[in-house]
Formats: sequence, structure tokens, C-alpha cells
Amino acid sequence: MHELSIAVNIVDIANEELVRHGGERIRAIYIQLGPLSGVAKEALLFSFSLACEGTAAEGSRLVIEDTQGQDLDIVRMEIEP
Amino acid sequence: MSESAIMRPRIVEVRERVLKQNDLLARELRQRFREAGVRVVSMVSSPGAGKTMLLEKTLAILSREYRVAALVGDLATENDALRLQRSGAPVKQITTGTTCHLDASMISAALIDWNLKGLGILFIENVGNLVCPSSYDLGEDLRAVLMSTTEGEDKPLKYPTIFNTADIAVITKIDLAAAVEFDVKAVHRNIQTVRPGMRVIEVSAKTGTGLENWLQAVSLKK
Repeated sequence: MHELSIAVNIVDIANEELVRHGGERIRAIYIQLGPLSGVAKEALLFSFSLACEGTAAEGSRLVIEDTQGQDLDIVRMEIEP
Repeated sequence: MSESAIMRPRIVEVRERVLKQNDLLARELRQRFREAGVRVVSMVSSPGAGKTMLLEKTLAILSREYRVAALVGDLATENDALRLQRSGAPVKQITTGTTCHLDASMISAALIDWNLKGLGILFIENVGNLVCPSSYDLGEDLRAVLMSTTEGEDKPLKYPTIFNTADIAVITKIDLAAAVEFDVKAVHRNIQTVRPGMRVIEVSAKTGTGLENWLQAVSLKK
């Protein structure tokens, strides 16, 4: 079960991007996840809310798009303002 | 109406690999290994497949010909490192605590005071786990996935990701195949189903069967 560390990576990258874009809060993070990424979707969703706690992503949604191969990429985010 | 409710969200493009930090570190490691001229072989399997036993034999034999060393990952204890040190090769234990896999930063940290120059082959024995290690590049040249004859023949079908990220498959404890009625043909078929063309080596670290093929695969020069 390494989904928590994957979730922490996602939230870290999202927070860096938020700062880079001068935003204040993250509403949603969209990722692409391939079947050969080695990451279980349900476990990742469960870990995600824990990883968001205390960050600008708290309360945000993780939107997972099923793709191909080993994909494990953040593609975009919804931020405020 | 609260302030946040009237705030219009905006969409920003990101396009980042989630494991970019690990991939970056792994690339640095690979560069460092190449410059030092050391070949790096990692071994992954479920717990109890016989990684340590195979590595023990491998270090003992190869140390006559090359300078070999090993990093071994476990959640806890130094038992494997102590066992492997009997071969005379430098061995370092990486205890991961609760983490179920090795990642590139752990390899970097473990090698920080190592001089890799003059080393022929470095082995990395991952934490026993067939799932999580598949996501983490360690900068290795060759990744071997091991499974033993005491496991089910359908393991490759159950864990296709690790078979897809590994370079070779090794069936261990082949001396027990008949006793446990392990269907060798079926496992070959299953491996080829998830990874067509994958090289498969059958070994017994105990009897020495197939060791030659394994040693040839790990010591193959780039």
C-alpha cells in the first residue's frame, strides 16, 4: 500500500503549482491513471483526503481519468481565485 | 454568501508526473552508476520467494570474479544484511520502517558515503512486495522479478504490473517444483501472457540448478 505516499506526492505538486499560479485554494486535482501504474484507485481516493489535510487542497476533489499503461500524471487543477 | 462561494474557480494546466521527484533522482543515480562503471541489478518478489538466499549464493560466487556489493531493503531488522555479509561483500541494510518499497531517495541516502568506483555489480534487494516497488525507478540497469514454485502459477496474472516493469523473471526453488506439484509450463505461459517475450530463468539456490543462467544474466556487461 503505497497510495498514501503517492497521494502526498500529488498534493505536494499541486500545492507547488498553486503557488506558481498565484492561487489561494485548490478545488480539484485531475489526474490520469493507467492500469499498469501499480496504484489502486480506491486506496488512492481514500488516502487523498488524508494527504490534503492542513494544506490549501483541504476539501478538494481528486478526479481520476482512466488511461493507458503506466500513466500516473497530474494534468490540471481547479483553483481559486 | 461566503466569499469563497462567489469566487470563480479557474482551470490551470499542470502536466506533471506524480513521481517526477523519484524519476529525477533515479536518473541522477543511473548517471552516477554509469560514470562509476557499476552494473546495478535489483531484485523484487513477494516475501519468502528466496531473494536473500539467491543473493547469498550470487555474492559468494561473483565475488571471486568481480567486486560486488548489495543494498537490502526491509521494513525492520538487519537480519538480511548480517546474513549476506558472510559472503565478504559490502552489504548495507536499508530499513524502511513502514514503507513497503524502496525509492530512489533511499538508494541515494544509502550510497552517500560509498565509493562506487571499482565496483563491478551492485545488487539491490527490494522489500518483499509485488505491488509497490513497480512504481519506483531505482536507477537500476536490470530489474529481476522473482517468484518461487511454492507460490501459485497464476502470480504473473495477478501482479501484471511488476512483470511489466521488470526485465527478467526468475522462478526460484525449482528443486521443489515436483514436490509441490508446481506446473512449470503454466507459469511460463502466464508470464508470456502478461509480458510476451520476457526472459525466464529457473533456478534453485539450494542445489545450484540454473544458477549459471542467472549469473550470466546479472553480470552481462552493458
